[in-house]
Amino acid sequence: MDLALQIIASGLLTGGIYALLAVGLTLIFGVLRVVNFAHGEFMMLGMYGAFWMWALWDIDPYLSVFAVVPAIFGLGLLTDRLIIKRTIGAPEVTVVFATLGLSILLQNAALTVFSADTRSVTTGYTGTALSFGEVRVSIPMLISFVVAIGLALALWAFLSRTRFGKAIQATAQNRDAAALMGINVQRVYMMTYAIAVAGAGAMGAIAAPVFSVYPRVGLSFVITAFVIVVLGGLGSVLGAVIAALLVGLVQSVVGFLVGAAWAEIAYFVLFIAVLVLRPQGLFGRRGAEVYQGA
Amino acid sequence: MADQTGAGPAVAEETTAAAAARRWGPMRVVAALAIIAVLLVFPYLLPSGFWVDMAVQVLIWGALASAWNLSAGYAGGLSLGHAAFLGVGAYTSTLLFLELDISPWLGMFAGAGVAGLLGLVLGAITLRLRGPFFVLATLAFGFVVHILAVNLRDLTRGAAGLVIPFDGGWENMLFASLEAYWYVGLGLVAVVVGITLWLERSRFGYYLTAIRENEDAARSVGVKVVRWKIVAAALSAALTAVAGTVYAQFVQYIDPDSTTEFELSVQIALIAIVGGMGTAFGPLLGAVVIIPLGEVLRAELGGGPSLMVYGALLVTIVLAAPRGALPWLQQLVRAARRRREVSA
Repeated sequence: MDLALQIIASGLLTGGIYALLAVGLTLIFGVLRVVNFAHGEFMMLGMYGAFWMWALWDIDPYLSVFAVVPAIFGLGLLTDRLIIKRTIGAPEVTVVFATLGLSILLQNAALTVFSADTRSVTTGYTGTALSFGEVRVSIPMLISFVVAIGLALALWAFLSRTRFGKAIQATAQNRDAAALMGINVQRVYMMTYAIAVAGAGAMGAIAAPVFSVYPRVGLSFVITAFVIVVLGGLGSVLGAVIAALLVGLVQSVVGFLVGAAWAEIAYFVLFIAVLVLRPQGLFGRRGAEVYQGA
Repeated sequence: MADQTGAGPAVAEETTAAAAARRWGPMRVVAALAIIAVLLVFPYLLPSGFWVDMAVQVLIWGALASAWNLSAGYAGGLSLGHAAFLGVGAYTSTLLFLELDISPWLGMFAGAGVAGLLGLVLGAITLRLRGPFFVLATLAFGFVVHILAVNLRDLTRGAAGLVIPFDGGWENMLFASLEAYWYVGLGLVAVVVGITLWLERSRFGYYLTAIRENEDAARSVGVKVVRWKIVAAALSAALTAVAGTVYAQFVQYIDPDSTTEFELSVQIALIAIVGGMGTAFGPLLGAVVIIPLGEVLRAELGGGPSLMVYGALLVTIVLAAPRGALPWLQQLVRAARRRREVSA
């Protein structure tokens, strides 16, 4: 029983951290209709940001979020200007392979600058844990979980409560109608992209005390995030949060029962099944998945 | 998504090509014979084994990209999981050879059969999906096959890989001379490009072009869209597997990372895109450019920076010339010819 609780707890904690990556991905998908293959690389850059600030200046990774987020936000604006903006309305091959190329570029830039070494942050609280009865919960994991879920929900609140958030949602629903209502669609796209990748950067920074960083780290995370996004319903921020917890749970439980590799196969098969049988995801609006190609 | 201007220039192209064929008929035949002659002695013209090795790689990658192009370029099925079929081909023929002593020439067909069947099933499941959804499904499929290749240790020996012991002779598709692989590769490319050319001129090819240009319009005039897409996907998967067998016999060692990894799927697509998707010779041109460029960059700059250049190249090409290099070159040639005609 305690073992079961332990597995459930660690699954939910990991899932929560994934949530912050997934909400940005789902937002870009929902609003710009772009599969952002480079999303994991922005997370990777966030992790390196946190790592170097810790290694060079002894800054706590959770505090480094305040530097990482604006930096990645700026990088997101630049990326939109140089690449993403030019893919809107372009042939499908452009939409898919432009961000894939960017992902290869960033990954190998990190490899060149930081080398392939795996690096980890060690702080005073590394390895510490809270005990709830027999269940032990890693403290850095818990902090990262709370911050990630908090930021993901803050993003959701921003989208549903603020005027600009509503403009983003309107653009997601119908690009042309939004433009006719006087919404500056280009600006919405740019801000959406920058906000979403800044979220990925924040996720990287708060994941630094928990996960090791290496140039290819983004790939494994972003693949899981794709599964979450499809499961949660494309463009659905709240759906992504719930799906993230679910995927974390599945990973942990199935991983314990049959091994990590089979758990991975299980959720890829689940992923294809959801794509085919229920493309609007578990929580998505019907029709939100309709792909409006150029 | 669809390129509405596609039909116009294609027709114009045909007529200029036909006119050129009338005018340059005999010269074309001579040129074709000369090209064939050069191809047959080509490995002996190269300065060293290093270059022959690279030339064989160009052929294998050219075949892989051409096979990808059959589905992606002609039927719009942009796949990011094609390394899975490469792996299926390499593992099927290699396991049959190692365990049952079946010649890779036969194993090649077994691999093609398995991959074709997988392509058929995967296509039937996913080809109704549009745009990025199809891409994501193929990507997930590629990962499943990679994880299986690593973890089905009893069958694949996992990450340790499989060594093909050298027992030279054409019946084993194992040769002591690199030059021999050139001819195997040449045959492979001839088959894949030949099928592509046949397809371009067949009714099947017209169906596929119609689907690629405007799927809804094709469906409305009675084209069985999904059926033809599935056939293209299965054919593409089978030919990719055949190239996988040749690759295994050439390298004589396979493991999950060198046959099924995601990066390989990207590389296959990259070559076809750079050369020109939806053209018969574009993927081959892509391989001629990308493979030597990759080797030179790796030697000059090292792994990381050379892949940075790859990434930047991919972004630049899909943004600036999404139709690839071959259509762009053809346009240049046409423009030059027009200028000459005007001045003459």
